[in-house]
Amino acid sequence: MRTLLILIRKDFALFFRDKTAVALTFIIPVALIYVFGQVFGITRTDTGPTGIPLAVVNASDNPGAAALVEALRSEKAFRVITERTLPDQTKRPLTEEDLAPLIRDNRFRFALVIPADLIATDTFGLRLKILSNPRNDIETQTVNGLLQKAIFSNVPELHGQSLQARAREFIGAPELQQFNARMARAITDAFGGDAAEVEAALAAGDFTMQNTSLARDPGEPAAASRQDFFSEIVKIESEQVVGRDVKAPAATRVVGGWAMMFLLFALSGSATSVFEEKKAGLYQRLLSGTVTRSQILLGKFCWGVLIGLVQLVTLFLAGQLMFGIDILGHLPGLAIMSLAAAAACTAFGMLLAAVSPTPQAASGLATFLILMMSAIGGAWFPISFMPEFIQTIAKFTIVYWAMEGFNQVLWSGDPILRTLPTLGILTGTAALVMAVAVWRFNRGRIFE
Amino acid sequence: MLSLQSVTKRYGSLTALDGVSLDIAPGEFFGLLGPNGAGKSTLMSLVAGLRAPDAGSLVLDGRPLAAGGGSARAALGLVPQSIALYEDLSAEQNLRIFGELQGLSGADLRARIDEALAAVQLADRRRDPVKTFSGGMQRRLNLVAALLHRPKLLLCDEPTVGVDPQSRNAIFEYLERLNREGLTVIYSTHYMEEATRLCSRIGVIDHGKILALGTLDELLTQLPFEDEITFPATPETGALAAGLAGQGTVTTDAGQHRFRPAPGHRLSEFFALAEARGLPPRLFTHQRPTLEALFLHLTGRTLRE
Ligand SMILES: Nc1ncnc2c1ncn2[C@@H]1O[C@H](COP(=O)(O)OP(=O)(O)OP(=O)(O)O)[C@@H](O)[C@H]1O
Ligand SMILES: [Mg+2]
Repeated sequence: MRTLLILIRKDFALFFRDKTAVALTFIIPVALIYVFGQVFGITRTDTGPTGIPLAVVNASDNPGAAALVEALRSEKAFRVITERTLPDQTKRPLTEEDLAPLIRDNRFRFALVIPADLIATDTFGLRLKILSNPRNDIETQTVNGLLQKAIFSNVPELHGQSLQARAREFIGAPELQQFNARMARAITDAFGGDAAEVEAALAAGDFTMQNTSLARDPGEPAAASRQDFFSEIVKIESEQVVGRDVKAPAATRVVGGWAMMFLLFALSGSATSVFEEKKAGLYQRLLSGTVTRSQILLGKFCWGVLIGLVQLVTLFLAGQLMFGIDILGHLPGLAIMSLAAAAACTAFGMLLAAVSPTPQAASGLATFLILMMSAIGGAWFPISFMPEFIQTIAKFTIVYWAMEGFNQVLWSGDPILRTLPTLGILTGTAALVMAVAVWRFNRGRIFE
Repeated sequence: MLSLQSVTKRYGSLTALDGVSLDIAPGEFFGLLGPNGAGKSTLMSLVAGLRAPDAGSLVLDGRPLAAGGGSARAALGLVPQSIALYEDLSAEQNLRIFGELQGLSGADLRARIDEALAAVQLADRRRDPVKTFSGGMQRRLNLVAALLHRPKLLLCDEPTVGVDPQSRNAIFEYLERLNREGLTVIYSTHYMEEATRLCSRIGVIDHGKILALGTLDELLTQLPFEDEITFPATPETGALAAGLAGQGTVTTDAGQHRFRPAPGHRLSEFFALAEARGLPPRLFTHQRPTLEALFLHLTGRTLRE
């Protein structure tokens, strides 16, 4: 025991002499987590893109088209551009011809053209034209989705107009008028109201009767119910069962994974120190005295677990400072989970050192495995987004179980007792991996 | 004190030690002289318990030595061939760690650290990181780090590699003093000068075998000659070399003639011959036989090749 303490203290002294190691373990990870946090916007309460430049040319005189442009303007994802600044600083409205060159010039990547014949007569639907430079797939999909949403929820009558136009094409204008009149009568028979007003609404494509007395209770203003109609086609009642009281939810979900990745990096670094000590002949000196091989390995392991624990808790506390994650409130559970995670990671580092012939091989292999475990284990990306077989493999990574554990503690607020299975998996992994590492070390050349 | 019985150690198909038997008495300063790859470090590592022999036995103070660390070797100190120190830590920190691992602590440890640093003239550098030390200073620290716990048997594996003559002398004197005070030393080297100066008994080792064993005088009597005269091989000395053929052996190597008189030959005859040919005395070097010559005689090779 005394020997172990001396060895651990030795590693502490070595560590704090090595400014690079300290920086790589604490300062750089904190800085990177801060940057990651900004990049992924985990401090924002609302998520989603903002300010994507969208050029809009409206050639239609349909009032619905103007309403659509206004709707797009109020969408925070877009910065709507409708004018072009000429070299002499004067402005003029954008035209359709302007768009392609400007997109090529990278002034914006998306443009929407609302043509004069917005309402198609030859087919059902709206004629919109989108010009784009789909440099980024996610952005393109987002823009398309947002446009659809803007049209559906803001100017539904455009679709109604399209239906009317199509019907006129098929059955002819007089017949359509007759049809609308009959419909209006049927509606007013059933619901009351003014038949002429309802017929006019139908002809204008306003199937929701937004602007008729039907749509509102007496005294209610005209626009109030408009939003409700489409949002209530499918009623989703959403009740958050878990994590309702979590402060900084986005940060809480991801910080554990990032911290794990840095922990693995730091520990693979400490594993290569096994090689340095061997190369210097230090094991010859230690082993020729009263120290045993097991003590050397155990000493390294304990040191790794300790520094790993300190690193994790430090990174979490930094998470509290930077993103407002509630760490102090969960400290005991988090410390125990961190201890188990650090043990698993240290054992992993020791195994790497034990199976690698050279320190270069060890650090190469470590980088590969760490990035792989972090990606597959869900440190970068929620694993539910990944293919099923990867989700299965994920369960074989330390990162996955550590993140699971951190989420149990920080997100679900589970008491320590309920985290026991996860703790068990992590410490069990640590014990098993360490056993293999010790076995390999004893057969390998490291102590000769 | 230490006894090796037919110790054999193989690395794969290579036999690094081949049936070595050796007895070291308490208080001896034993030299292990051999070229690179002879098996010196391997022998040290077996005694230190870093490796287990494939055959044979090692006994220290009447107790068989098994491989692996542990208390059996508390009375033993190893100075590894490489600088086995924590480079980033100071001299003092290094000594403290190694001392503590040997079970020392408190005032006793502090006193021993002071003493050790003073002994190798490093007291004024005690707080500097070892990596800022010169090679020779590191060697000296490497040596005392093995002595803090006052072992009874010290294994020194080539402790003077890369050390300037002055530091080397300091190390020699320190070891000689400790030896006088009762420390048993096994000292490996490929410098015959070191073995000659330091060691009361010498084992000549090559290819894992002890080729000769004894005091310096005992070893040198194994040579079939007592004197050796070398002189440059030039056209003027050619005739002299040819004329010596009947009186001993003449070999020529690296521009030098080497004349070893046959037993009973008198050196005055040689110098008379040289004088007769008008060759000045400064051309000739007369030597007593050396370990180098012995090694050459035993193996047909030189110690450093
Ligand atoms: N770990 C090892 N694995 C394989 N072969 C080894 C190992 N260590 C030493 N050898 C071989 O064993 C032989 C003896 O090596 P050893 O290190 O004992 O020689 P040495 O006398 O100490 O040489 P030097 O003066 O160069 O230190 C050499 O041929 C060497 O190549
Ligand atoms: Mg050697």
